[in-house]
Amino acid sequence: MTHLILDKVSVHYDGQPAPAVERVSLDIGKSDSGRGDFVVLVGRSGCGKTSLLNVAAGLVEPAGGLATVDGRPITGPGSDRAVVFQNDALFPWLTARENVAFALRLRGVSADKRARRADELLSLVKLGDAGDKRIWELSGGMRQRVGLARALAAEPEFLLLDEPLGALDALTRERMQTTLLDLWAAAQVGVLMVTHGIEEALVLATRIVVLAPGPGHVVRTFETHFGRRYAAGEPIRAIKADPAFVAARAELTDAIFEGEAA
Amino acid sequence: MSVSAYSERPGAKADENDGFSVPWSRPRPKRAVVSARLVSAITILVLLAAWTAAASLQLVSPVFLPSPAAVWAKFVVVARDGFVDATLLQHTLASLWRVFAALIAAILVGVPVGLAIGISRIGRGVFDPLLEFLRPIPPLAYLPLIIIWFGIGEPSKILVIAIAMLAPVALSTAAGVRGVSRERVDAARSLGATRAQVIRHVILPSALPSILTGLRIALGAGWSTLVAAELVAATRGLGFMIQSAAQFLVTDVVVMGILVIAIIAFALEFIIRRVERVLVPWAGRE
Repeated sequence: MTHLILDKVSVHYDGQPAPAVERVSLDIGKSDSGRGDFVVLVGRSGCGKTSLLNVAAGLVEPAGGLATVDGRPITGPGSDRAVVFQNDALFPWLTARENVAFALRLRGVSADKRARRADELLSLVKLGDAGDKRIWELSGGMRQRVGLARALAAEPEFLLLDEPLGALDALTRERMQTTLLDLWAAAQVGVLMVTHGIEEALVLATRIVVLAPGPGHVVRTFETHFGRRYAAGEPIRAIKADPAFVAARAELTDAIFEGEAA
Repeated sequence: MSVSAYSERPGAKADENDGFSVPWSRPRPKRAVVSARLVSAITILVLLAAWTAAASLQLVSPVFLPSPAAVWAKFVVVARDGFVDATLLQHTLASLWRVFAALIAAILVGVPVGLAIGISRIGRGVFDPLLEFLRPIPPLAYLPLIIIWFGIGEPSKILVIAIAMLAPVALSTAAGVRGVSRERVDAARSLGATRAQVIRHVILPSALPSILTGLRIALGAGWSTLVAAELVAATRGLGFMIQSAAQFLVTDVVVMGILVIAIIAFALEFIIRRVERVLVPWAGRE
């Protein structure tokens, strides 16, 4: 078991009067066999979700507390923690295949080997025949799939997803949720995801951490199991229609808006 | 963003009106687009006609304004027999060689300088004031100094043009580098890219559209510096040809030289836009 741990992490940006996040602890586990944790951060704007994800990514240095992977402090970004952003951040001068193979190219993997691996990953995200496409020829959902495949090519232990479905239309979002669950199962990674989607959080997460602003802190943590039910073979729409799911959604919504002036 | 990638409302139909369009955004029939070019063509024809009329009616002495026919005849003669010991082609090639040698020099210096300005505070502190100092000085002002320092040979001529090209190349590169999306850089770093790999694989390709725009501006600036560069001790070149002709009051060669310079500048602009479309097809499509 490998753990990505944020221990009482605070984030304070230069020139800001108040910290963005104060003393938040998270633990994302990644089992060596089978799937890891799928931790989802939800909360209103300004609650520091993305700041925490950036600390985990090594893109933001915490003002206090400690971020570690497997006990080693995080000192910067690294390919053990691949990030997928809301706006895919793909490279338009490369084809879809070359984008996916980017991490392998950085490591000096030979051209035909990395092309083969990239094609495997593209099939995994159901884009097997889009390898030669240019980025601007792809739809938003397809781009995000390429982004996920590119992150997985780095063979990370943890995937950090910063609102990966945020820019997609509602129908594509639905479909991408199951893609994410499939990938999570196939790639055996621990996932930390930031989202605004309440239903998305419930479907995907094994644990939901609700944050509130002023400065960002944890208000509640939910353990959920709906994603595991999908993995066990239950169709996603049946899960979402389950009274237990509906009740959980109401509870989570209440938790998010708790303490907000009406 | 490249302007050439912009097309006038690709999906718009001539009779389409969604009720929200303000008058100036309302799709116009295709005829209107063509007629702008038509107007340009007519303007040129009218000017040519006025020129021909003025020359043939002898309103102006041929010493001051030779007729279009005389200029054309001179073009044929100079192309075949040459003027001041070189044919038109040799003059043109001499000038083109200087401009391209200068362009290479400006790229070799300007792109790294622009990169330094774009990615490092120290780089910006060092090079920004130098470029701002250099940029507004007209080439004729620094030409004497360059001759004192480097003599009257070919390197001086190339240097004069290269200095004029340096600022546009460096500043466009810097602008391109500063415009690189933060997320792209972060994504590359999280995929394991080192600082050097980020520059090589993310920042440079991201800045390429802007760099090419800089080259286009630089070619224009360099080409317009040509006459100044060929002012001293040249034996070939379009600028030299015009000056020699002017000294002997051979006005038809002067006019012909001006037209050749204009046409080549136009052709260079056209070529580099083509190169842009091939090298950075993604510009304006993201």
